[in-house]
Amino acid sequence: MTGMGDRILGLCLLVLAVAYGWVAQQWPEPFGGAEGVGPETFPTMLAIVLVVGSLYLMIKPDADARWPVGKSALELVISIIVLVVYALLLEPLGFIISTTLAVGVLSWRMGAPPKGSFVTGLVSAVVVFGLFNYGLSLSLPNGLLGGF
Amino acid sequence: METIGFLMDGFAVALTPYNLMFALFGAFVGTLIGCLPGLGPANGVAILIPLAFTLGLPPETAMILLTSVYAGAMYGGRISSILLNIPGDEPAMMTCLDGYPMAQQGRAADALAISAIASFAGSLIGTIGLIMLAPVLARFALTFGPAEYFALFLLAFATLGGITGKNPMKTVIAATLGIMISTVGIDISTGTQRYTGGVLELYEGIDFILAIVGLFAISELLFFVEARMGKGRSKVKVGKLTLSFKEIVSTIPTQLRGGVLGFIAGVLPGAGASLGSFISYTLEKSVLGKKGRFGEGDIRGVVAPEAGNNGAASGALVPMLTLGVPGSGTTAVLLAMLISLNITPGPLMFTQNADIVWGVIAALLIGNVLLLVLNIPMIGVFVRLLSVPPMYLLPIVTMVAFVGIYSISHSTFDLYFMIVFGVGGYILRKLDIPMVPIILGLLLGPEMEKNLGHALILSDGDWTTLWSSPLAIGLWLVAGLGLVLPPLFGPLLRRRMRSAIKEGPVSD
Repeated sequence: MTGMGDRILGLCLLVLAVAYGWVAQQWPEPFGGAEGVGPETFPTMLAIVLVVGSLYLMIKPDADARWPVGKSALELVISIIVLVVYALLLEPLGFIISTTLAVGVLSWRMGAPPKGSFVTGLVSAVVVFGLFNYGLSLSLPNGLLGGF
Repeated sequence: METIGFLMDGFAVALTPYNLMFALFGAFVGTLIGCLPGLGPANGVAILIPLAFTLGLPPETAMILLTSVYAGAMYGGRISSILLNIPGDEPAMMTCLDGYPMAQQGRAADALAISAIASFAGSLIGTIGLIMLAPVLARFALTFGPAEYFALFLLAFATLGGITGKNPMKTVIAATLGIMISTVGIDISTGTQRYTGGVLELYEGIDFILAIVGLFAISELLFFVEARMGKGRSKVKVGKLTLSFKEIVSTIPTQLRGGVLGFIAGVLPGAGASLGSFISYTLEKSVLGKKGRFGEGDIRGVVAPEAGNNGAASGALVPMLTLGVPGSGTTAVLLAMLISLNITPGPLMFTQNADIVWGVIAALLIGNVLLLVLNIPMIGVFVRLLSVPPMYLLPIVTMVAFVGIYSISHSTFDLYFMIVFGVGGYILRKLDIPMVPIILGLLLGPEMEKNLGHALILSDGDWTTLWSSPLAIGLWLVAGLGLVLPPLFGPLLRRRMRSAIKEGPVSD
């Protein structure tokens, strides 16, 4: 069946719209009594628009996009993991080490030779760190290299 | 003639050495952003926003920096169109048609030089148009009440997909998603907590800057990873400049026509720079008819689209500055900067923040002179940078995005949020859901709700107030047309644009 992507998206959006609209109805009436517009008025309108939109997507989906499979998908997942780990390690390891690793791995996975990748990572990390900490006196985390 | 006075004040702001330095820096970076692969203008401006913040720039300097980047990106897009037949950004598409054949005939340097001059002319015409039109429109916009504003926001969303947009329903969905994200946080008028789930970081709402950087920069990285376009492009020789003065003079009518048409396309909702360059190219082709050798490296075929898209870029600033309603992705990002500087965009800005508005306009003029100067002698530098492979570039850009977001609040929570937006953006882009309406929704959502509230309070809860004035009805009608016309005329226009490109002898 064609248009599976849009149909699945439509279904997800429908669930989202209903949940979003339902939550809006649960808020207590604001202090001072009901006026023309409460906190729930606008969200309710949005929920209705999204319900209509999601139904349209499910009924008249566009042709499917080509989704990455196999190795491309794996590379994507690796990249996302690298980004999350980068955010995770930024403070404990410090900016220079974590950036060298993150930029290095990303360039390497995008096809650069490993040595060039990590050198790029290190150079860019040191340049940006120097620029921010000494040029602009904004502190990026030192981490393990805290002695400097 | 008070406009002239304001403009002089603007020049006084923009010509201070500090601001001039940032204008120069912005123009240089902007050209780079325009010509480098994988860095669209909206994307580039978005990444620079957090940096402008962390530098603690005063509002007018921050806006001057970003406006110069914006103008520069429009110049930069042409470089790879001409040399590699790959448009650096979408509006530069039409420049490929005659620019690349010129490069193949060994006239790359000429094509680059004349396109820089055309960009300058287009931008100058557009900026003059902006100076004349913006104050008038701002004065008119002062008569807008909340109901008219509500209708105007709807119009902005409805026309955002543009006349060439594919599926208007997806634009609607994207805008709704953006507005929904903007409702997270404490409701301003009643203090009710909405969709925060008790998470402290969400009380103030989701910072649209991290959303924008995530949606643009991170999703772009993922697209490159998927397409494995890591390898760079081969180096290109530019050659000697042989452009004669007579040739430059002969293109002046083309420059004027292109600039004016582009400006009009830029001001109108739903048209934008891409259409601006397309219209001016086609007009030029039909005006000159058989006298030209369009598609085979006619110099006017380079001039027309470049004058057109730069005129449109200045024109697009008109609705953004006067109404607070941007018509394109990049102007939406500029609007984000204004909002985060605590400046309320809209007609009042012309009276309350006159120094900023006129400083920006003056900076646009100065930026263009700088760009012309930068682009002719230094073209070699940009050409060399063109061959930087994305596999090194994009990770570094991603890192800069991380640094920018981290330095706003010094919290890694924001970084995770940015990654979530990036992955979400990737999935949505895969499904053809456009990013720009999401961002516009994020930005305009709170304003829209506020105006809806005001309108209904003024009318005692009578909903018909939203379409009771003739102006509001007009806006609703245009918004309706904006949704109905693209499915009718879009395929036709898209086919024309595509066939115009296919006709070129270089499409192999």
